Amino acid sequence: PCSSGGPAVLSEYTAGSANYNLLLEISRLLNTGLDMETLSICVRLCEQGINPEALSSVIKELRRATDALKARNQSEIFS
Amino acid sequence: MAHWTRFEKEQEADTKRLISCLGGLHDEQDNNFQLALQFAWSNFRFHRFLDVNSHNIDRTLEGIYEKLVIHSDLNKAESWKRLTGEFLNLPLPNTEESKTGSHYAILSLLLTLSDSPSNNDYVEKERKKQAEDEPFDWGKYLREGEDFGLSPDSDTPDWLSEDEDEQESLSREDSGIQVDRTPLEDNEKKAAPAIGSWKVGEPDARTWLEQHVVQLYWTSRAHRFTHSSHLHSNLSAIWDQHLYSTDPLYTPDDKTVVTETQVIRETLWLLSGAKKLFIFQLNDGKVNVRNDIVVTHVTHNCLRSVLEQLAAYGQVVFRLQKFIDEVTGHVSETTLPGTLPTAKKNTEAHFRTYQAFVWALYKYFTSFKEELTEIEKCIINKDQTMTLSMVIDKLTPRLAQLKVLHKVFSTGVAEVPPDTRNVVRASHLLNTLYKAILEYDNVGEASEETVSLLFFLWVETVRPYLEIVDEWIVHGNLFDPAKEFIIQRNKDVPVNHRDFWYATYTLYSISEKTENEDKMSDNASASSGSDQAPASRQHTMVSFLKPVLKQIIMAGKSMQLLKNLKCKVSLHQAASRDADRKSLYTLFLESVQSRLRRGKESSPDMITEQQVNKQSLIKMQSIMVRYLELDDVHDPLLAINFARLYLEQSDFLETFACGDVSVDRSSESVTCRSFELTLRSCLYPHIDEQYLLCCGNLMQTLKEDYRLMEYLQAMRNFFLLEAGDTMYDFYTSIFDKIREKEPWQNISFLNVHLQEAVGQRYPEDGTRLSISFENVDLAKKKLPVHTLDGLLLSYKVPWPVDIVISSECQKIYNQIFLLLLLIKWAKYSLDVLQFNELVKAAETESPAEGAEHPPPSSIIPPDEPKGQEIHRMFLLRVKLMHFVNSLHNYMMTRILHSTGLEFQHQVEEAKDLDQLIKIHYRYLSTIHDRCLLREKVSSVKEAIMKVMNVVLMFAERWQAGLGAWKMDSIMKMESDFTNCHKFLVKVLNKAVCRGSFPHLESLALSLMAGMEQS
Repeated sequence: PCSSGGPAVLSEYTAGSANYNLLLEISRLLNTGLDMETLSICVRLCEQGINPEALSSVIKELRRATDALKARNQSEIFS
Repeated sequence: MAHWTRFEKEQEADTKRLISCLGGLHDEQDNNFQLALQFAWSNFRFHRFLDVNSHNIDRTLEGIYEKLVIHSDLNKAESWKRLTGEFLNLPLPNTEESKTGSHYAILSLLLTLSDSPSNNDYVEKERKKQAEDEPFDWGKYLREGEDFGLSPDSDTPDWLSEDEDEQESLSREDSGIQVDRTPLEDNEKKAAPAIGSWKVGEPDARTWLEQHVVQLYWTSRAHRFTHSSHLHSNLSAIWDQHLYSTDPLYTPDDKTVVTETQVIRETLWLLSGAKKLFIFQLNDGKVNVRNDIVVTHVTHNCLRSVLEQLAAYGQVVFRLQKFIDEVTGHVSETTLPGTLPTAKKNTEAHFRTYQAFVWALYKYFTSFKEELTEIEKCIINKDQTMTLSMVIDKLTPRLAQLKVLHKVFSTGVAEVPPDTRNVVRASHLLNTLYKAILEYDNVGEASEETVSLLFFLWVETVRPYLEIVDEWIVHGNLFDPAKEFIIQRNKDVPVNHRDFWYATYTLYSISEKTENEDKMSDNASASSGSDQAPASRQHTMVSFLKPVLKQIIMAGKSMQLLKNLKCKVSLHQAASRDADRKSLYTLFLESVQSRLRRGKESSPDMITEQQVNKQSLIKMQSIMVRYLELDDVHDPLLAINFARLYLEQSDFLETFACGDVSVDRSSESVTCRSFELTLRSCLYPHIDEQYLLCCGNLMQTLKEDYRLMEYLQAMRNFFLLEAGDTMYDFYTSIFDKIREKEPWQNISFLNVHLQEAVGQRYPEDGTRLSISFENVDLAKKKLPVHTLDGLLLSYKVPWPVDIVISSECQKIYNQIFLLLLLIKWAKYSLDVLQFNELVKAAETESPAEGAEHPPPSSIIPPDEPKGQEIHRMFLLRVKLMHFVNSLHNYMMTRILHSTGLEFQHQVEEAKDLDQLIKIHYRYLSTIHDRCLLREKVSSVKEAIMKVMNVVLMFAERWQAGLGAWKMDSIMKMESDFTNCHKFLVKVLNKAVCRGSFPHLESLALSLMAGMEQS
């Protein structure tokens, strides 16, 4: 499965700046678990003035919820 | 408004994308999607977080850097600093300036999302960073296409692709959605590790290895990095600086900096026998420390001195390892434990003692390596701090043991000149170990561990010897193809030869003085070696066997003899008994173990034999399972069957289990103190037992099946005239012939008479007995006393008994026989004289004075009348008879009979054949002595012979009649006799008074009685 906007975004920032690579390294070093695409979205949201801490809490919550949802789906499949 | 909505639209689009990225929800109409969107919006709009504070972020960045430094993640720390710095100075996609609020906002986001950056290992920023160096990698990539075609591709991808998979799956876990990568990046990723992983020679491969496995410190690239700027960790540099400042001519050499961990690991490898090392270098069997090695926190000299110590031990390990390789015929791979002693194929026979020694060393090294590996694991895990000094500390006991091993090895093996015989090598090695044990044993508790190590070595090394002994004393064959045992079979003597007992075995006893010169002194006859060997100088022939050497030799020879005697009788009996027999070595080990255990727990475990069998079966089975599992076979049935199969070979269990045994032993707190005592109680009794058993068997067989006693009796019957009537018949016929002056030296005549006499009562012995006549020079023959000389009675003794009754013995028997025959003859000749013969003869010559009996007088005038002559003859005859009878009685009763009784008693108690031979020989020499045949008392013998001569001459004259007599010849006879008689009485009395010959007392008394009258 792949997101619809993925390739466009990717091409945008691979062509755009080497900064994303840097940022991705930092992100990996910090073990944030963000991939390139998510990172680019986050960068743009931050640039748009979204509070980073709010954003991070949303990301965490969404991850948690997704995990829970997945777990539930799985248990439904197996049961 | 439009502007606002456009901004809002963008925000909403991004938020939606974020949700679909994170949550995997693509359907915007989905309820969950809407919920998530609402949640996000409400959080974005209504939150209580403060705005981003750039100072705070800076501080946090600094903090993380410090944290990484503290964790010694220097590379990480460095790249962290660099990455964040670069990032802040670069513009963002929609922001032109650097270090804007957006920059800090993004960093803040990442920081809040970060998940323990110091702990995660899989942040492989280095590679990524390299990937970031685009121009370099592109070139690499393009060139790589050519390389790929040239080199075989097939064997690399295995773990490589696995690695890749892992990475992908990781990212998928995080995001939930697989990002479609640009083909560029994908290829680049694939290519970069491909180079590194298997083209080791290339510089890139090196860097790859360096980053992933270990730094290539051995390629002597100077890695000048610092762990910290603390004084302690830069001592070396500071010292160098100091030297530089004090000595203007000092030029620091180019040195390779290594870490202490690397030094420790190399040390461990060195001790476990690795040959290609960086820090330690092996030149011609000598281990040197590389000169240009330095660690940051210790000065060069200090490190060097520590390492040189270790290098010495490393050298010991190499030397021993080399020896092991040599003996095992240099096997590159380690063999299965059970196969080692026998599996090697050599042109010459296996030298089992060395093999056993090597096996022991091998076991020792195995445990040593285990310990080293344990330490290395500890280092790899980084659970505890491990410094070089700690490692040395930990290994101290082992190093001490290595020292001992080396000492033993160099004296016991290395110093032996190469062309020495195996027997010397083996006994030298065993002696060295033995002596070392005694030496350390005397020290007491201080060297308990050393003793237990040496004891373990010794017990292993002595195994072939004990097996040889076992085979010999139980089965009677001395199996020793490599000629390492101290006793060797002489091939050219068959068992059923009469020399077998004496000449079959050669005992190699090695004199201590000329140890390195010609070590051999072959004692040609081993059994009489028991006479020679213990009495002679200090021998080094395997000292531990010395106390039981006699028993071993006896038992071995007896067993071999016995096997040959009744080889047909009870072979399968023995075979069936042998099945459940334990070998000597097993018995020895068991005794040692029980003895050692006794120190710990007082309750001896009572196990019946069945239990033992069952236990060993179970044990076997478990062992077999283990070995089968090595080959990936899991089949319990197979294991049981294997176990049963091998259990029949009792040795097998030993071989497999002796690892456990030795572990038991070395962990023994009660070591083998007073080592000799241990041997005495654990080894010698088993040998003694076997000795008693087989020697007793041999004795019994000889006595019962081969009628030894009967033959001994026959010897006494015929040679010592105990069968009086039979022999009387024989010898009187000879005496009569002599009296009649008929020729009697005819062999056929003698034999016929002998057969006639013996055949009546002893038909069996008749065929064995024969008599011959040996010519003696005629000059001697003139005297009548030598008439019988040269008679040779011989008795054909059948094979096994002739070991005891040898031809030498028969010679002595014959001597005594001749003496007895002489006495009998003298007695006989006196006995047959008749008074009336003499009187008649006198009457015919001078009838006037025939019946006159003149008064007795001591002085006889020359013209004495005939009657007086006759009287004096009578008197002389009686005196002579008295003398001869006394002598005869003394010989027959006092000497032969009583000594014979003693002998019979001793023979019944004799424990082994040697003892029996000795007893027999002693018996013979006793009677030989007592019959006064010894050289020492030749004067006595001469006197007796003179008397005998007088007797025989007297009898001859008597028979010739009075006419042949001259007065002076009678007087001469009388005076001869009186002189001899006086002399004998004097000598015998002296001897009796001294008390040295109590048996002579009766003879002296009776002779004295004869004296008084004269």
